[in-house]
Amino acid sequence: MSSENLFELNNVAKRFTKGKETISIFEGLNMHIKKGDFMAIMGPSGSGKTTLLNLLGGVDQPTSGEITFAGQRIDNLSESKLAKWRANNIGFIFQFYNLMPMLNAAKNVELPLLLTNLSSSERKKQVATALQLVGLSDRAKHMPSEMSGGQQQRVAIARAVVSDPTFLLCDEPTGDLDRQTADEILEMLQLLNRQFGKTIVMVTHDPSAAKFASHTVHLNKGKFVKAEELMA
Amino acid sequence: MSTLLSQSAAVIKMNIQSLPRRLWMSLAMVFASAVVVAILLAFLAMAKGFDATMQSAGSDDIAFFMRVGSAAELNSSASREQVNLIENAPGIMRDEQGPMVSAELYVIVDGVKKSSQTEANLPLRGLDQRGVTMRKGFTLVAGRMFEPGTDELIVGAGVLREFDGFDLGQEIRFGKYTWKVVGVFSAGGNVFESELWADAKVIQNLYNRGSSYQSVRARLEPGASLDAITAYLKSEPRLTHEVQTESAYFAEQGKSLAYMAMFGWVISCIMALGALAGALNTMYTSVSDRAMEIATLRAIGFSNFSAFIGTMAEAMALAVLGSLLGSLVAYIFFDGLNASTLGGSFTQVVFSFKLTPELFANGITLALIIGFVSGFFPAWRAARVPVILAFQAGR
Amino acid sequence: MKDFYLIYKNLTRKKMRLFLTTFAIFIAFLIFGAVMTLRSALNAGVEMSADNRLVVVHKTSFTNPLPYAYVNKVKTLDGVKDVTHANWFGGYYQEPRNQVVTLAVDPETYMTVYPELVVEPAQLATWFATQSGILVGERLAKANNWQVGDQIALSSNIFSRKTGGQTWDFTVSGIFKGNEAKVDTGYVLIHYKYFNETQSWGGDSVGWLILTTTDAALNEQVASQIDTNFANSNNETDTSTEQAFNKAFIEQIGNIGLIIFGVVFMAFFTILIVVGNTMVLAIRERTNEIAVLKTLGFESKRIFKMVLAESCLLAFLGGLLGLGAAYVIVTGAAEQMARFLPNLVLDENIVLQALGYMLLLGLVTGMAPAIAALRLNIVTAFSRG
Repeated sequence: MSSENLFELNNVAKRFTKGKETISIFEGLNMHIKKGDFMAIMGPSGSGKTTLLNLLGGVDQPTSGEITFAGQRIDNLSESKLAKWRANNIGFIFQFYNLMPMLNAAKNVELPLLLTNLSSSERKKQVATALQLVGLSDRAKHMPSEMSGGQQQRVAIARAVVSDPTFLLCDEPTGDLDRQTADEILEMLQLLNRQFGKTIVMVTHDPSAAKFASHTVHLNKGKFVKAEELMA
Repeated sequence: MSTLLSQSAAVIKMNIQSLPRRLWMSLAMVFASAVVVAILLAFLAMAKGFDATMQSAGSDDIAFFMRVGSAAELNSSASREQVNLIENAPGIMRDEQGPMVSAELYVIVDGVKKSSQTEANLPLRGLDQRGVTMRKGFTLVAGRMFEPGTDELIVGAGVLREFDGFDLGQEIRFGKYTWKVVGVFSAGGNVFESELWADAKVIQNLYNRGSSYQSVRARLEPGASLDAITAYLKSEPRLTHEVQTESAYFAEQGKSLAYMAMFGWVISCIMALGALAGALNTMYTSVSDRAMEIATLRAIGFSNFSAFIGTMAEAMALAVLGSLLGSLVAYIFFDGLNASTLGGSFTQVVFSFKLTPELFANGITLALIIGFVSGFFPAWRAARVPVILAFQAGR
Repeated sequence: MKDFYLIYKNLTRKKMRLFLTTFAIFIAFLIFGAVMTLRSALNAGVEMSADNRLVVVHKTSFTNPLPYAYVNKVKTLDGVKDVTHANWFGGYYQEPRNQVVTLAVDPETYMTVYPELVVEPAQLATWFATQSGILVGERLAKANNWQVGDQIALSSNIFSRKTGGQTWDFTVSGIFKGNEAKVDTGYVLIHYKYFNETQSWGGDSVGWLILTTTDAALNEQVASQIDTNFANSNNETDTSTEQAFNKAFIEQIGNIGLIIFGVVFMAFFTILIVVGNTMVLAIRERTNEIAVLKTLGFESKRIFKMVLAESCLLAFLGGLLGLGAAYVIVTGAAEQMARFLPNLVLDENIVLQALGYMLLLGLVTGMAPAIAALRLNIVTAFSRG
């Protein structure tokens, strides 16, 4: 086990039972993610990338095998421990932003801080910093419905980084955006990776999005493959 | 722990803020619990008002004599001789005019109800000044007292309110005889206000009662025992009467609308089941409407407890809002509502619906139960919304 | 009806919601059925009164007695067919709180004036011949478990016996039924003659007279004839049709009756509104699927019918179950509480009204979404997704 690895997956299997059938997504999957990495995961639908994302995010648990994060097993944590672990270590960025429609930008960004013991003035300070980082200081009081898709995604990014997690998990972050806006978002992720040392895993369909990552892995039928094999 | 509180507070706030999205479903739940509470309060206020009208009429220090088995004043009888014997019973207070005893007559006459313009039974009570002073809270609010030996009468304020033709100075005909209204009295809102009072001797005369009366009231000396009086009544073969305190008599009469309160509880509880079904629908809809948000919050690291509490709080808030609305409606429409119905003596009792804090507490409790049950199961579901949902397709 | 499968599938797609909605409708119609039955029972006296029957009471109040001589005087008047009379006995059984409505009547004429009371001829003959015999209504006999031949001691809260005490011993000569379920059979008839001779108050007086006219058209004429006849006497009379008399008596219960039924109906309609709202929203949710059906080539009209059929089906499902439960409860209550409650009959009138409300509920809740479905433009439906 290398201390440079943030995530290690050892011999992970994930199966679902649907009625009488058992569907296997992964069998004996091994993977590691280094600290400070920006990894893109690509693959056709049904390749298991969403399941992988769920496992990395501590949203789902493997049927067997080990997942360690910073040397700590997370595959056997209880629901409430997992929730705490997510709050402390992970920032999520979703394809459809998943902002709370009834909260303004600042309140949306503040949500993860409600899970900490910070005072309200400290929270305000951090929210302001995060919004400044994504360039939306002037939109703090706007409601999600008053913002463009790109702006909403930037609020979502601010929400993901506001509690300063080491790890960002992005699910098709640009899937719902036009090219130019998408590139802006991706540049922002790149910045977070390079300047702030965030480890990022991004699931995407889009090869041009993947280019922003430091490297790309391809997933097919539950196994990592070389890009060329996928094309074949 | 403090983060659990701040999480829950944030989730509750978000739930409440998202209510406009589910406006119609939420209103339906508020509306349903409001009606359940309003109905319960209507029935309870009716029973309470009737009971209060009866209860407040009786005194503990007045002994009330009726013929055995007569159950109500109307059916009782007492000859002059029997009244004289009752005057000698132990424990009865005396003053310079002798024993403080009031022998009274109770006959039924017809009055025309204002509300329906139909005839209804009114009690015409025959008594003398002694009987009048025995009523606590008696005041003449207009006019003067009837003159003994004349065909004058005074009317209770309740009769004046609910019946036609009893205004001060007016003449009224009951059968062959005409009476003149010379005064209006109040008795502090109790059942005596539903009566007409005239001189006992005149009524004996006009209604062929000879020298007989119906019921007898007597003021008791402090510490007098009813047991001693009962023993006296038993030992005197010429007496066929039984005794109780006046308050005990009216308490019994007041129970005759107690079935209304029971009927009200039964109807409201059945209604509450219907409202509950509607409320559960509302809350399940709320959970599925917010599923994406719940999942996202859970992904961020919010606990499932906060999702549970948030849903629970929403249900309770809607139910309480409904109960407040229902209480308000009940207060506006039912509190003080004048009504009249048949009492124990086959005569009309005029009373007002009465809402008390205790009754409101009953209504709100019922609403809280609806809120709790209708929140609990959907909240359970909310707590178990799979976090994966946050990563699935958009709204 | 080949769309029935689709309708059925739509209805049952969310089992929980189907259950809850059905349950709320069930409750609404349960309350409706039970309360309407109670109301119709209270009004049965008015409904069941014969059109040619008149009641003569003392003008001051019907609690004042009339002289016995009036019976014969009324009999001689034009247009009068039969006359009978009754006295209120103020009866109770064992305990003053166990009130037993007891009327002292003249047996032969009473049974002539009230032909709706049915008694076995042998029992009737026994009663006519037995001074201390009583005729007990079926409901009352059941409630107290009294049989023909039983010795029953009834007490009066008004009258005393000449020989002392207020309790009379009677023998049950027969049991009377009604020729219709709604006829009240919750009282006892005793011989007037026996009562009058044994009670200590004396005075040949009757409580009130009941008479039949030869023709209902003569009612008013006969009534005014009677009242004029006794005007300015010591005992003036007030004659009205049986129906008006019963109605006035019910109205004595007063506006609380009005308030109660008003409140309960408000409850009924509220549940319908709440449920209707849910049903409308449930169908609204399916805009997309309706668009798909349209794209597949389903005619608008057919979809319109399907949506309406679904909401009506739901309304009738809950409604009929509720009405059925009301029937069971009412029948049970009629047995259990025969002593306190009048004859409870959930009759076809109530059923028809309930069916009407079910149909209304189904149509109203189905109409808005059905029209929306009818007008739905497929293109806009898809852009919503």
